[in-house]
Parts: sequence; C-alpha cells; structure tokens
Amino acid sequence: MLKYFHLTKLQWLGILKWSLYGLLTLLVLLVQTVVLSKLPVCGAKLTPLPAFIVCVCIREGPEKGGVYAILAALLWCLSGADFGNLSVAIIPIGAMLSAVLCRAELTLRLLPAALCCMAVTLLDASAIFAFKLILPPTVAVENYWRVLLPGVLLSMLFVPIHYALVKLISRIGVRDAL
Amino acid sequence: MKKHLTAKTKWLIVIAVLLAGLMTITAAVNRGRPGENLIQTMLTPFRSATSALVRQVEQYYDYVFRYESLQAENEALKAQIIAMEEDVRSADSLQRENERLHQLLGLSEEHEGYHKVSAYIISWVDSNWKSAFTIGKGTNSGIHEGLVAITEYGQVVGLVTEAGTNWATVTTVLDSALGISATVASTGYNGVVEGALATGSEGLLRMNYLPTDSVLRNNDQVLTTGSTVYPRGLILGYITDADFDETGVAKYAMLKPAAELDDLEQVFIITEYENQ
Repeated sequence: MLKYFHLTKLQWLGILKWSLYGLLTLLVLLVQTVVLSKLPVCGAKLTPLPAFIVCVCIREGPEKGGVYAILAALLWCLSGADFGNLSVAIIPIGAMLSAVLCRAELTLRLLPAALCCMAVTLLDASAIFAFKLILPPTVAVENYWRVLLPGVLLSMLFVPIHYALVKLISRIGVRDAL
Repeated sequence: MKKHLTAKTKWLIVIAVLLAGLMTITAAVNRGRPGENLIQTMLTPFRSATSALVRQVEQYYDYVFRYESLQAENEALKAQIIAMEEDVRSADSLQRENERLHQLLGLSEEHEGYHKVSAYIISWVDSNWKSAFTIGKGTNSGIHEGLVAITEYGQVVGLVTEAGTNWATVTTVLDSALGISATVASTGYNGVVEGALATGSEGLLRMNYLPTDSVLRNNDQVLTTGSTVYPRGLILGYITDADFDETGVAKYAMLKPAAELDDLEQVFIITEYENQ
C-alpha cells in the first residue's frame, strides 16, 4: 500500500517548485491588495499579479504554466477582484500565448517576458475598462491614459524581480531531470 | 509556432473561457461567485496578518519621519479645541433654550442609539474604478449586507455590499455606485450624494439635485437625512465647490469627504439603530 505513496526525488522537487510558486503567488496577491492598493502611485493602483502569472507561464511552458495560470487567475478573481471574471479568461489565455510565442519566435529572456507581461496586463486592464465605459456607473474616457496606462507601466517595475525569482524557482529539479 | 500550441494548450484555453463564462453567469444569478466565500475566508487570516504588519511599519515610519509634522498638527488641534470650547459654551445656552422651547411645544426628543461592531481594514480592492475594502469581520460578528460603516467620529465611510463568514466588503462613499440622501446642515437643502470616482474627481463627493436658488457656502457640513439604510445626522462631508449641473435646472456641490479614507485603519459597522 505504502509503495503507492512513494515519491521519487524528482517528484519531491516538483512539489517543492510548485509550492514555492503558490507561496509567491499568495505573497504577490497580498502585496497587491493590502499594500499597493492603499498607496496609489500617480493616481493609479499597481497590479503586479498578472505579470507574475505570465512570468511563471513563460518559464514553465504553456501546458503546466497554463494550468497554473488558470488557478492563479481564479484565486485572484475569487479574492474579490473587480471584474475578475474577465481576468479568469484573459490572463491565462494571454499567459499561454506568451509562453508559446516566447518558445517559438522569441527567447526565454527578461525583455521578451517583460513585453509579454505588459501586453497581457494592458489587455486585461483595457478589457475591464471597456466594460466600465459601458456599464453604469461609467468611467470617463480620459481615465484610460490618465490612470490606466501609468498604472500598467508602473506595474512593470516589478517584472525584473518576478522574472528573477521565477527563473530561480524554475531551475529546481532541472539538474536531476537531466 | 504550431508545434508549441499543443492540443492540451488549446483545451486549457477552452477551459479558461468556460470558467470565465461560468463565473459571470453564477455571479449574475446568485450575486456572488461560486467559492468566493471559501477563498475570502481562507485569505482573511493572511490579510489580517499582513495588514497588522503594515500598520506596525507605518506607525514606526510616522514616529521616525513624521514626528515634527505630527507635533505641528498637535499644536493646530490644540488651538482648534480652544475655539471649539468657546463654541460649546455658546451652544450650551442655545441648547437650554431649545429644551425649554421643546417642553413648551411638547415635542418628543429625537434619540438615535447605535449598536456598533468595530473592524480593521485588511485589504483594499485593487481596481482603479472601484473604491472598496475588506474588513476582517463578517456574518459571524453580526455583519451583513446593507449596513453602514462609520468612523469613530460618526463620519460615513461606506456601505457593506458583501459579507462572508469572517470578512465583509465595504464600498466607500467615494464609489459612484452609492447614492445617499443628504442635507446641508446649515440651510436644510436636500440632495443626493454620490462618489465622484467615475467622473475623474477622485477623492471627492458630488451632491446632486440641489434647488436652483440654493445658496451654498464653502465648508458647509452635509449630513445624512436618514433612511432605512443610513441613520440620520451622520457626517458625509464639507462643501468645497458648487455650480449648476449639466441640465441647468439644478445645482450640484462638490464635497470633501469627512472621513479621511486614505488613513483609515479601523471602521465601525452600525448593526442596529433606533429612530424614536
């Protein structure tokens, strides 16, 4: 019976890796909702979580990373995110396509990853903004370049830290696998 | 490119779209997403711990870097207290006169008793288009949807719009979704106060539907008129500006909220109140 519960070293390392990703996701979510949401910069609240999800997906590939992206976006949505339903689709799809794009056409480096992070964060924020333009209470159009764009750009300041941490974690178990 | 876009990835994309659809439909039908209460309940201890840590850091920062400004603020407040004591003395004589007139006319005393539950703010909504926060108490402390959140000084903070086991979401007065029936304390003009967040005037409130001939002065206090949701006489804000609205048949006033929402750490939820 016990042999069914036996895990190889590689499997243990896999559990460790995904636990670390989980912990970091929770940490980024807490920083975003407890600290950054209270301290707007240039009138915009910063949202580093979408970029973090994209970074993990890029490093881990569209399949494993895709599953993670869906779960992480779901966590964000259920933690009370405004219009989080949209993010459940946009962030994982954006992250998976970024992973495919980076592997097929670009490289697994910081700059392509940062560009993909910005594209996904901007797409997610823009989609929510588009709904806010239609559904009451509506927001003013000028808020797009006055609040949304600076917010997205400033959120990108976290990408180098995200990417470095994710790169470090993604190496766990690589040597044992070879 | 096609080599990397495997069948599994395509399935994951379909799952993501289906999940988003499911979330939207259930949110529209049940006014809440499935599993939200569970996730929020599980996150509450983590959020409480993080916000407690942030409060400690802020206190330490204030002590180290804002000591002098706090001292100056203290001096200004002392001067304000002296001026207010003067006002209280003159108000006392007016109150005695008011009581005598009440007795003469046989009017009943208006009394409002509040039952409050205090709660700490554990997180803020991370959207730029919504002003709301989560508190670390919920239905297990008697908090439910539709209750009013105030500060210790009776200033309106917002309304509980969602409540779970150990958490509740308070939408603040700055959010454009709330409409509160209000009155200008000095003149008695009535109107509806809404948050000006969506219109691009962050941090301000807008009092609509004021009479065209109303005379509004800066720093006039605006209070709640009293309704089934909001008790009477709670402070909403102070007038900072006024003008005719877009239609030209009514006036509006811009208000500075009485509650300092940026520095808010703790709120009081009115669970019961009496209007006798």
